[in-house]
Amino acid sequence: MKRIYLILSFVLALPLSANLLPSELRKNGALIQKALAPVQVSLQESSAVFFNSQESRSFLFGTIVSEDGLILTKASELDEVADFYVRVGAKKYRSPKLLSRNDQWDLVLVKIEAENLRPVTMDFTEDLAHGTWIVSNGAAERRFRRPRVGMISANKREIPGGSPAVLGVALKVSEEGLVASAVSEGSGAEKAGLKEGDVLREIDGAEIENREEFIKYLSGKGVGEVIQLKVKREAEVIDLAITLVARHKLYPKEMDRNDQLSGGLAQQSARRSGFPMVIQHETTLTRRMMGGPLFTLDGHFLGMNIAAVNRVEVFAIPAKELAEVFTALKP
Amino acid sequence: MTDDSPYFMIMKLRGLWMLGLLLFPPSMGAERLSLNEQKIPRNLEDLRAIQGALQSHLERARAATVCLQMGEGSGSAVIISEEGLVLTAAHVTAKVDEEVKVIMEDGRELRGRSLGLNSETDSAMLQIIDDGPFPYVEVDLEDSTILGDWVFSLGHSGGFDKKRGVNVRVGRLVKQENSTIQSDCMLIGGDSGGPLFNMEGELVGIHSRVGTSREQSLHVPIREFQAHWEELKKGDFIGEGGFAQKVEPGTGFLGLVARDSADGGLEVQELFAEGVAEKAGLKVGDRIIEIDGEVASEEKLTARLAELGSGEELTLKWISGEETQEKTLELGARP
Repeated sequence: MKRIYLILSFVLALPLSANLLPSELRKNGALIQKALAPVQVSLQESSAVFFNSQESRSFLFGTIVSEDGLILTKASELDEVADFYVRVGAKKYRSPKLLSRNDQWDLVLVKIEAENLRPVTMDFTEDLAHGTWIVSNGAAERRFRRPRVGMISANKREIPGGSPAVLGVALKVSEEGLVASAVSEGSGAEKAGLKEGDVLREIDGAEIENREEFIKYLSGKGVGEVIQLKVKREAEVIDLAITLVARHKLYPKEMDRNDQLSGGLAQQSARRSGFPMVIQHETTLTRRMMGGPLFTLDGHFLGMNIAAVNRVEVFAIPAKELAEVFTALKP
Repeated sequence: MTDDSPYFMIMKLRGLWMLGLLLFPPSMGAERLSLNEQKIPRNLEDLRAIQGALQSHLERARAATVCLQMGEGSGSAVIISEEGLVLTAAHVTAKVDEEVKVIMEDGRELRGRSLGLNSETDSAMLQIIDDGPFPYVEVDLEDSTILGDWVFSLGHSGGFDKKRGVNVRVGRLVKQENSTIQSDCMLIGGDSGGPLFNMEGELVGIHSRVGTSREQSLHVPIREFQAHWEELKKGDFIGEGGFAQKVEPGTGFLGLVARDSADGGLEVQELFAEGVAEKAGLKVGDRIIEIDGEVASEEKLTARLAELGSGEELTLKWISGEETQEKTLELGARP
C-alpha cells in the first residue's frame, strides 16, 4: 500500500493571544458572511433542505430545478432515509415524491407540491480557473441558508469507479460459457440463490453471448432494478430474479489513512467515485451538505455538489451535464 | 469584538511599523497588499481582490510544486531555484543523501537526491540532479507575512494524480509560533512538504502536519530553513527530533545465516523465525545470487549490512528450486 506523508499532531488549544487570529476572522468565520450576502440570496432561493422526519434533522440539500417543485439531489444519500420532508426557505413541504433516478450520476428527481419557486438556470458552461471563489451551503438552519466559500481546486475531469449497480458475482469464462466463480455476501445474486459454478445462459430473455456484452448490458441498469437470469446448474436449468444493489454498498472502499483523517463515513459521502464529469473544489463540507447548488460570486449556477470526498476535496456535477440528466429525468 | 481585542492590538502595532517604514523608507521591503490590510473581506470586490492576487501567481507556483516519491512513500515539495534546489519536509525525505523521484505536475519525472534535514522542525532540502533550468518560486526571505495575511497552499494530496493535477487551497495565517505557522488551508496525506504561499507568490512555509480539528494545518516557516540554510544544503542531519530518525550503520537485521556456495553466490543455512528474510519468502537451501545488483558473497553481504541501518533497504536476487526471485527488503532492527 502507498504511504502518503502527513503527521497528525494534537495541537493544544492555547489561550487567546496576540499570535492567534480570532475564529470569526478566519476563512469560514462568522464575519465573512456579510461579504457573501449577494450570493446568499441565490442559495436561499434555489436550495432545498431534506430533513429526517424522525430526528427533525437535516441530512441533505437539494437543487431546485423547476418553478413547480422539481428538485434534484443525491440519490445514494436519500436512499438512507425512509421518511423525510423538505424545506425551501422557511416553508415546509410534507410527503415529497421520488419521480426518477440516474445512478450513473447518483441523482434522483424529487417533486414537492409548490409553485413560484426560483429554479437555478443551467446555462453557465464556462470552465472556471483554479483559485476561483465558489459558494455552497454550509450547515443547514431551519430558515436561513448559510453560505460557505471555497475555491476551484483541481482539474475538471472524469472520476472512474465502475458501473453503479452490481449483481455481486465474479465471472470467469470457461468452455461451458460464462461461469459464476464467486458470489458476494449480501448481494442480490446471493439472495436470489445464485451459486458458485452456475453457468449464466440468458439475461432478461436474451442469450448471453460473451462477458463484454453481459457487463455492458448490466452497466445500463440502475440500483434496485431486477434482472431475470437463466442459469445451468449441473443438469438443471434455473430461473432467478436478481435485484441489483449499489456498488458502494456491496464493495465499500477500504478506509485508508486519508479517510481516517477526513472523519470517515461520518463526514465523507459513501458514494464518492464513478462520475462521468466533475468540478473539484476545496470547500469544507460534509456528506450532509451535498445535493445543493454551487454558485460563483456573481450568483451564476455552476453545478451541484455531489460528493464530499475527503477533507480537501468536494466534487460537483457541472451545470451542463446536470441539465442533460435533468432533461432525461423530468416527466 | 472590542478595540482591546488582540487583533486590533496587532493592527495598532502594524500601524506603528508602517510609521517606521515612512521614516526609514529605503531599508524596508515593498508595501503591504491592501487585501491583507482589510480585517475581513467586506464585499465581493474584496474577495475578488484575493482571488486575483492568488491567480496571478498560480501558474508559476503550480509549475514549481512537485511530488516526491521514495519507494512506496509519496509527499510534496517546491523548487526554489533555476538549478533545482527544492524545499520539503524532513519526515518526507526522512534520510540524507538518498535518491528520490521528483514528478512535475505535467508528469515529467526527474532524479533528485535528498540533502540535509532538521529532525526537530521538519525542514529538509533536496537537489534535482537532472539538468535544468527548472520553474521555481521566490521565497519570502524577509519573513514579511504576518498573522491574518491571506495565503494559499499547493500539494499532491493523496499522491500524484496527473488527471487531477496539483490541489489548490486558500486560507489565512491564523497562528504564529517560533518553529511553526498555522493556516486554515486544509491539508491531507501526501501534501507534506508542499508549499504555502503569500499573495505576492512568495513561499512562506512548508506543510508539516495537521491538528485534530478540521482546519488546523501546520507549516514550517521559511525562517526555520534560513536558520540552518548552509547545514541543510551541505547534507547535514540536524537534531534528534521526532520528524526523522538517524540511521545507525550496522543496525539493520536481515534474519538469515548464509555461506558461500560452491555453485556461486550464497546458500541460505538458517532463517530466523518471523525475520525479514523469512517473511520475504526465502527458504533454507535457496541460493542468493545478487545483493543490490552485484554478485553475492559472504564478504559482500557482511560489508552491506555494516553500512545499512534498520529501516533501510536491500535488494536480493535468489534462486529457489527452479524459480528466480528478486525483492527489495526493508531491514528490521537487531533483536
